[in-house]
Amino acid sequence: MSLGCEPCLAPGSVKREAPVIAILRAGALAGELVARGTTAHVAAVFARSLYLRAGETFLCVGEASIGDGPLTLIADGVIGDLGLRAHQGASISAHAIRIGNAVEFRLDRCKPWHSPGWPAAVPPARLIETSAALASRAAVAAPPEGLARFALSGAVAATPLARVAASPIARFHAWLDAALAQDCAPEVPLHGLIGLGPGLTPSGDDFLCGSLAMLDALAQRRLHAALAAAVAAAAPALTSPLSASLLRAAAAGHVGEHLHDAVAALLAGDVEAAIAAARQIGHSSGWDMLAGAATALRLISEPKIRRDS
Amino acid sequence: MIVLNEVRRATYLDSIVLMRLSRQVAALPGVVEAGLFIGTPANKEILRAAGILGREGEGADAGDLILALKAGDAAAAASALAQARRLIDRPEMAGAPAPPGALRTIRAAVEAMPDANLALISVPGHFAADEARKAMALGLHVMIFSDNVPLADEAALKCAGLAQNLMVMGPDCGTAIIAGVPLAFANVVPRGDIGIIGASGTGIQEVSCLIARAGRGISHAIGTGGRDLNPEIGAIATLMAIDALDADASTQHIVLISKPPADAIVRLVLERVGRSAKSFTVCFLGAADVAAPANARIAHTLKAAAASALGEPPPGPLPRAQGRQRRGWVRGLFGGGTFCAEAQLMFLDAGLAVASNVPVPGAVAVADGGHLMIDLGDDIYTRGRPHPMIDPAVRDAPLAEALADPAVAVVLIDVVLGLGAHPDPAGHLAGVLAGRKDCTRVVASVTGTDADPQRRADQVRKLAAAGVTVAESNADAAATAIAALAGSAERLASRP
Repeated sequence: MSLGCEPCLAPGSVKREAPVIAILRAGALAGELVARGTTAHVAAVFARSLYLRAGETFLCVGEASIGDGPLTLIADGVIGDLGLRAHQGASISAHAIRIGNAVEFRLDRCKPWHSPGWPAAVPPARLIETSAALASRAAVAAPPEGLARFALSGAVAATPLARVAASPIARFHAWLDAALAQDCAPEVPLHGLIGLGPGLTPSGDDFLCGSLAMLDALAQRRLHAALAAAVAAAAPALTSPLSASLLRAAAAGHVGEHLHDAVAALLAGDVEAAIAAARQIGHSSGWDMLAGAATALRLISEPKIRRDS
Repeated sequence: MIVLNEVRRATYLDSIVLMRLSRQVAALPGVVEAGLFIGTPANKEILRAAGILGREGEGADAGDLILALKAGDAAAAASALAQARRLIDRPEMAGAPAPPGALRTIRAAVEAMPDANLALISVPGHFAADEARKAMALGLHVMIFSDNVPLADEAALKCAGLAQNLMVMGPDCGTAIIAGVPLAFANVVPRGDIGIIGASGTGIQEVSCLIARAGRGISHAIGTGGRDLNPEIGAIATLMAIDALDADASTQHIVLISKPPADAIVRLVLERVGRSAKSFTVCFLGAADVAAPANARIAHTLKAAAASALGEPPPGPLPRAQGRQRRGWVRGLFGGGTFCAEAQLMFLDAGLAVASNVPVPGAVAVADGGHLMIDLGDDIYTRGRPHPMIDPAVRDAPLAEALADPAVAVVLIDVVLGLGAHPDPAGHLAGVLAGRKDCTRVVASVTGTDADPQRRADQVRKLAAAGVTVAESNADAAATAIAALAGSAERLASRP
């Protein structure tokens, strides 16, 4: 069974009783897509959001509580009780998104959303302390289903996921270490990490999103470009189309509100704020993103400390 | 061993749903191992390493969902796969939309049920006030289960409700029993002549269950929301609830439960209590020297509040240790915030310093070492994940950490039953404790009744079989933990 697309409705053919919901904000990439106009279909429906697939891009239409994101449209209403189902056809234009006869999302009041700039980081010694404090918290507070507990605290690889993840994460560390020491970054070893783990977005993908965000936040342009290029090239073959869509956005320098807040909190040395922001993202995805961000933070900060001393 | 795989093409489920389904499938009878992953090459490697990747799974694409399981024999595998399919297909498990025909608006609900006079609002906090206004415009009382509603919105809603004679219960009102109908997290208790008004959901649950287990019943239990007695709100819902129960012929005695309010609010509430012809029990947990009017008795714990409502004498002094004395600290891991507060008060009353992430007056903020009471229902533990009363796994990691800590002598926990709560929290806990030695140092209370879906007697039996020390109430559990500490006899003897 493939994701078939029902014939999309022409503008104006929505029945009168279909609810009309305003879209309040559109992330940068979501805004570009709706401005171009296209057809799509419903890929997934959750309690507070739905995903529309347009080619290889996934748009998330969600309630305000899910937070803003580059591919997210924030709706002024409740999504979960619209009676939508996977595979329904949708039409997307600069003015509205129509999903069959079920709902019309109006874009007239929509404002663009961009993640704010990165704040300045506290001194490297504080960043190292922050990473260590986060590792201690992860050892007991990170969900056992994800990667963060193992990746951050150095705990014994006690779960099947952690055992399989041990080698790819070690290779990622080695790459980042080597890339920091050299002028030109070596090839990024993503095999085994990308697409790894449970959940809608695999833990390995979340880890990479966090790393990309932290490299961007620390203005590590060369490393960010190398990792971004590798992720964008590898994602289509190695992870789900939905997760690949989000990874491409992260590789292009776009992150969601909660990940931005988590990384900004790490840069400020505020571990609890970082955890609180990460927990807004999902059961284990936020922690896995934190793991990627904190890994990059520690590996970049340690050589600075050594140089300074 | 038989390995079976099923592949669902291009199927996306929410991460929490996937996690829960994975656990449920792994727990099915006869299943040795199970996994539910999207079919990426890396995930196939996990399934391959676990020996549960079959031919169908090998053929899955990265956007597909693989259900893989291993069972002891073909019949068990086939049965488990059939049950797993049903679990995956249950739309509510996937957070899918309501079935066709479900009501989408409050107005439609009122048209379908014109006699309704109360709306329960459970939407993200950002929208809750608007939904409550819609309900009140249709003449409905409201119970707002949602949290994260701004204080200014709460004040405006309650003032509007007062003007329209409509009760606004909440926000963050998790428990109510109206005319015998339990709402949100509540227990199945008999009807009776004792009314409860509570700013605390678990406080209402504990007191109503202790009353029910003593053979009495509840007329109404009205939740007010945790901030109703804040000066900014002025106890509007509490005072309206007193008016309602005062006028209710089926209510003979009224129990008030709250954290200690500001002095002005205490005076306001007790002045209203004093004007009632009915008797009251007032439990301002942690408040000292409250001067009660003649028709009211003061209770310092939830257990004491229930005893007072039942007309029993106040609970006696802390019990002496029954088993061996232990050296070390007590770690409390609570799903109910009021239980966490009550345990802290018991420790302070026993002359023991105590810390908490939600400290009561006299306790300190979380520190290394010492007696520590953690409210796992606090926002920092529950953002983006279920409350521990719904998903007891929230406590698993802190529990494992406490049991592995040689400095922790006793672990205190609460198990809350009832509608809306996890179907088998004791079974989950017993699973976590399986194989561990000396589980008697885990002391638990079980809030519930035998009429609850989980049946309290069954839950107590499971905990006892796992070696857990089960106390009759949360206060008793805290007292048991204190009594188990080395030196407690001397300390208790030295208390006035």
